[in-house]
Amino acid sequence: MSGSLGNIYNNVSFALGLHADALARLQEQVSTGSRINRVSDGPSAAYQILGLNSEERSLGNYLGNLSEVVSNLEHSSVVINDIISSVVETKTQLTQITNGIYNQDGRRMLAEGINDTLEQVVLLANTERLDQYMFGGSNTSSAPYLVERTDGKITGVTYQGSVEGRNIELGPGIQVDAFYVGNNVFSSDRRGDPVFLSDTGAEAGTGTSSVSSFTWLTVTGSVGNYDLSIDGGLTTFNTDGTDTNLAVTHSVTGEVLYIDTTNINSIGDSLVAVPGTHDIFNTLITIRDLLENEKGLSDAQLLDLLRDSFNSLDEINHLLVRTQVSIGSKIGFLDNLEDSLKNLKYNAEDETTRLEEADIAQVAIDISRREVLYQMSLSVAARLMSMSLLDFLE
Amino acid sequence: MDSFSIGLSGLDAAQKALDTIGNNIANAATEGYHRQRINLTPGYSSKVGSIILGGGVDIAGVTRMIDHFLEQEMLRQQSSLGQVSQEFATLRTVETAFGELSSGSGLNTAIDEFFNALQDLSAHPAEVIWQSQAVTAAETMANQFRTLGEFLTTLEEQLRLEAENTMEQINTLINGIAELNDNIERIEISGGQANNLRDQRDQCIKELSELINVDTQVKEYGVVNVSVAGTPVVTTATQTELEVGLTADGKLGISVAGVSNYSTDVQSGRLGGLLSLKNEFISGIHSDLDTLASAIIQQINQHHVQGVGSEGSFSQLTGWTNTSGDLSDFSTVSAGYTYIRVTDTSSGAVTRTAIPVLQNASSDTLTEIAGYITSNVANVTATVNSSNQLTITAEAGYEFDFLPAVLPEPTASTLTGASPPTISVSGIYTGTVNDTLKFSVSGAGAVGNGSLQLEVRDGGGAGDVIATLNIGSGYAAGDLLDLGNGIKISLGTGDFGAGDNFDVDAFAGSDTSSVLAAVGINTFFSGSSAINMAVCSDISSTVGRIATSLGADMTDNTNASLMADLKDESLSSLNTMTPVEFYRRLVTDIGQQLYLKNIHQDNIGMISQNLANQQTEISGVNINDEAAQMLVFEQMYQAMAKYMNTVQSSISSLMEII
Repeated sequence: MSGSLGNIYNNVSFALGLHADALARLQEQVSTGSRINRVSDGPSAAYQILGLNSEERSLGNYLGNLSEVVSNLEHSSVVINDIISSVVETKTQLTQITNGIYNQDGRRMLAEGINDTLEQVVLLANTERLDQYMFGGSNTSSAPYLVERTDGKITGVTYQGSVEGRNIELGPGIQVDAFYVGNNVFSSDRRGDPVFLSDTGAEAGTGTSSVSSFTWLTVTGSVGNYDLSIDGGLTTFNTDGTDTNLAVTHSVTGEVLYIDTTNINSIGDSLVAVPGTHDIFNTLITIRDLLENEKGLSDAQLLDLLRDSFNSLDEINHLLVRTQVSIGSKIGFLDNLEDSLKNLKYNAEDETTRLEEADIAQVAIDISRREVLYQMSLSVAARLMSMSLLDFLE
Repeated sequence: MDSFSIGLSGLDAAQKALDTIGNNIANAATEGYHRQRINLTPGYSSKVGSIILGGGVDIAGVTRMIDHFLEQEMLRQQSSLGQVSQEFATLRTVETAFGELSSGSGLNTAIDEFFNALQDLSAHPAEVIWQSQAVTAAETMANQFRTLGEFLTTLEEQLRLEAENTMEQINTLINGIAELNDNIERIEISGGQANNLRDQRDQCIKELSELINVDTQVKEYGVVNVSVAGTPVVTTATQTELEVGLTADGKLGISVAGVSNYSTDVQSGRLGGLLSLKNEFISGIHSDLDTLASAIIQQINQHHVQGVGSEGSFSQLTGWTNTSGDLSDFSTVSAGYTYIRVTDTSSGAVTRTAIPVLQNASSDTLTEIAGYITSNVANVTATVNSSNQLTITAEAGYEFDFLPAVLPEPTASTLTGASPPTISVSGIYTGTVNDTLKFSVSGAGAVGNGSLQLEVRDGGGAGDVIATLNIGSGYAAGDLLDLGNGIKISLGTGDFGAGDNFDVDAFAGSDTSSVLAAVGINTFFSGSSAINMAVCSDISSTVGRIATSLGADMTDNTNASLMADLKDESLSSLNTMTPVEFYRRLVTDIGQQLYLKNIHQDNIGMISQNLANQQTEISGVNINDEAAQMLVFEQMYQAMAKYMNTVQSSISSLMEII
C-alpha cells in the first residue's frame, strides 16, 4: 500500500485534466452551437460539411445567375411585346389603307408614322440593360443593329451582333442561352421561293436565290434584249429572254436572284418578296417606301403591293410571337430549375446543419455529468488527503 | 559486554531506520525519488556451549524500492507520449492555420469563390465590374495560398530549429548521465551505496526518454548504459554526443556529432515527433498544397494564354523571368507548336504562323524561339533578355494573339470554277485535338444550283467523313452551314469546278507545347507553388486583359466558361480529383491525423497514468506508511534504551555486591 497519497494525487490530477478538457470542448460547443468547430472534431463529417458548403456556394452562384438570366429574358419579352404591338398597329393602318381610307397625302402621313415605328423598333432592337445589349447574341458590348440613313431616313438596317448566343451555366451541366441573336428574333429563316409582285413576267429560276425579304427587280430594255438589275441599275444582267435561271447579283451585298426570263414581257420595277426571309426592318422600310411611292406606282399597283406586304408583317408577327412563346417556356423552365436549385440548396443547408449542429440538450446533460465528476474528483481527493496517521502521533 | 553491543546495534539500527524514514518523507515530493528501505539482519552470533546467542542487529544496507521492468516500460511510454504530444501540438497549429470550419474564410471558400467569380464572368465577359470581381477573388485565393505556403515554410524551419534545441537538451542529458554513472560507480565500487545519485541518473534517463527513444542496460556497480535511436551514447562514464542535420534528400536526421551520417530513423520521443513532422506530415501537407496551387496555376494559365479579353489582341507581351532559357529545363514544356495570329488593324487581315518548339536543334531555347518569331512572323519581333524573359512585340498597325479561332478563309484551296465563291469560315472548334478539315466539292456548277455537295473529312482528308453539306439547290449563298463541331462555313455566289477542294485548320489548342504558360506569356497567374502564387500584374492593373474569349470576334465567353469549368474537372496532377476535392482531402487528412493523434495521446496518457500509479505503489513515499514505520522504530529505539538501562542496572546491582 505504499505511495497511496501519490496515487491519489496522480489520479485526481489526471481526472481533473480529463474533465477540464471535456468541459472546455462542451463549452465551445455551447458557445458556437456547433458540434464540429474544426476538422479534427469529426474528420468524416467535416469532409461532408466542406463539400456541402462548396455545393451551397455553387448553388447560390447558379441561383444568382439564373435570376439575372430570367430578368434578362423578361426584359427581352417586354421589348418583343412592344415590337409586336408596333407590328399589329402597322397592320391595322395598312388595313385601313388597303380599304381605300387614305389618299396619297394620308399615305404619306402614314409613311411618317411607319418611319417613327421603324425608328422605335431599331431602338428596341438595340435595347441595353445593365450595360449589355439584349439582342446581339454573345456580343453584348456593342449595338447589334447599325442603321444607314439617307436624308435622315433609315434606308437599311444591318445586323452587327454575333450569330452565336451566350451560353451561361445555370446548373450542373445546364447551359442556357441568355442573350438572343437578333437575326433569329427579327428575321425569318424559312426561305421559300421568290414571289414576283408585278406583271413584268419575270419568274423564279431554278437556283436558290440568296436575296431576302423584299428586293426591287428593275427590268429595262426591250423584247429579246432585257437588262435586269436588283441594285437599282448599278449593275445589269442582259438576257435575250431565253434564260431559265439567270443569276442577277447585287453589286453591294453580293446577293443573287435567280430569274426565269422566258416569260418577261414588259419592263419596269418589280417588287420581289422572298417568303420566309422577311425581317422587320426591311419590311417596315419597304412599306414606308411604298406609302411614299417614290417609284410612282399607280394606286392599284400600290394597293396590290401593300396587300402583299401584309403577308410579310404576318410572317414577322408569327416569328415574334414564336419567340415570345419560346421565352415564356424558357422562363417556365428556369422557374422550375430555380425551384430545383433552391431545394438542392435547402437540402445542402439542412444536411450541413444536421452534421454540424450541436445537440444542445445532450451537451447540457454532458456538462452536468462532467461537473459532477469534476466536483467528485476534488471532493474525494480532499477527503482522502485529509486522513493521515500523523494526526494520531503524539 | 555482549548486552551493550546488542543494545548499541539496536539503537544504531533504529536511528538509521529513522534517518531513512526522514529521508523518505523529505523526498516525498521529489520528482524521480524512489522510496528507500533499511535492510536489517541479525547480528553476529556467539555460541556458548550448546546455546547459540544472538549478537544484536546489523544494517545490511538501504534499498531503493524499484521495479526495473516497470521503469523500462515507463520510459518507452514516456517516449511515445513525447512524440505524439509534439505531433499533436504542431498539427493542431497547422489545422488552426488552415482555419477550415473555424474561421469561415478558409482556402476552401477562396477556391470556390474564385471559380464562382469566373462563372459570373462567363455571364458578363466584357464588363469591368465582373472582371474586377474575378481578379479580386483570384487575388484572395492566391493570398490564402501564399499565407499558408509561408506558414508551412516557417513551420518547417521552426521544426528544424526546435530539433536542434532538442538535440542540445539530449546532449546535456547524455553528459549528465555519463557523469552520474561515473560517480555512482566510484561510490559503489568502494562498497558504498549511491541511491540518491541513482535516482538523479534515472530521472535524467526519464527526461531523455521524453526527448528520444531510449534503451538502457544495467551494468555492475549501479552503472546504466544508454542507447538512443539505436546509437550507444552512454557507456559507463563515456558519452557520445549527437547532432541534427539534413540528409541528401533534404530530410532532417540525426548523426553522431562530426560524422554527418544522418539517419531519419528516430522512432519516438519529442525529437522523433519533430523529425516525423518535418520529414512526413508537414512536408507532405506542404507538397500537397504546392501541388494544388501548381495545378490551378497551370490549368488556368493553359487556357488563359490562348484567349483574349475585352481589351482585345496585344501590341506587346512580356513573360516572367526564368532561371534558364533552355526549354528542356521546363518540366511542363513538350515538343509541339505555338500558333500566333497577327492582325493588320487597318485591313483586318489575319495570318497565323506555327512556331516550332522542341521540334529540332534550333527550337530548344527561348532565344531560338524568339529568333524564329522575328524571322518568320511578319510584323512581329521577339527578344529574350539576360533574365530569360521573352518579349513579343507587334509593329505599329498590327496586333497579335494566340486565339485558336479558325481563320476567316480556308488555309489552302483548289478552286477551278470560272468565278469561285468566297468561302467564309467562323466558329470555335469543339474537338479535342488540332485537325485539318478537307472540304471536297461533289459535282460542279454554281452555288445554290443542282445537286452540288460538299464532303467534309477530318485528318486532312485522310480521315472519316464528318459531314456532307448541300450547297446546291436549296442552299442560298451566304447561309451558314454548321459542321456540328463548332465550325460554320458560308459560301458566296460563284462556281465550283469538278474536284475543287479547300482546307480549314481547326484548333483545339493554339499552344500544344505549353511554352506560353511556362514562360508567362499572357498568363493569368504567376508563380509555380503556393508560396509564390500571384495574379499577374498585367491582369491586376488592366482587368480587361482577363482572357474570356476564344472566338475571332472576341465577344464570346468560351474561355471564361472553360476556366470556370476547371472547378469540376478531375485533374491527373491531382490524382484525378477536382481542385476542391483535392483540397478537402488535404484538410480532412490533417484533421484525421489530428483526431488519431488525440486518441493515441489519450491512450498513452492513460497507460502512463496506470504505470505511474504502479510505480508510485512500488517506489512512492506514503506518509502514513512512513509514519507507521516511524512508530515501529521509535518504539524500538525506546525499548533498546530501556534494555540498556536494565543491563546497566543489572551491572550496578552486581557491583554493589562487590
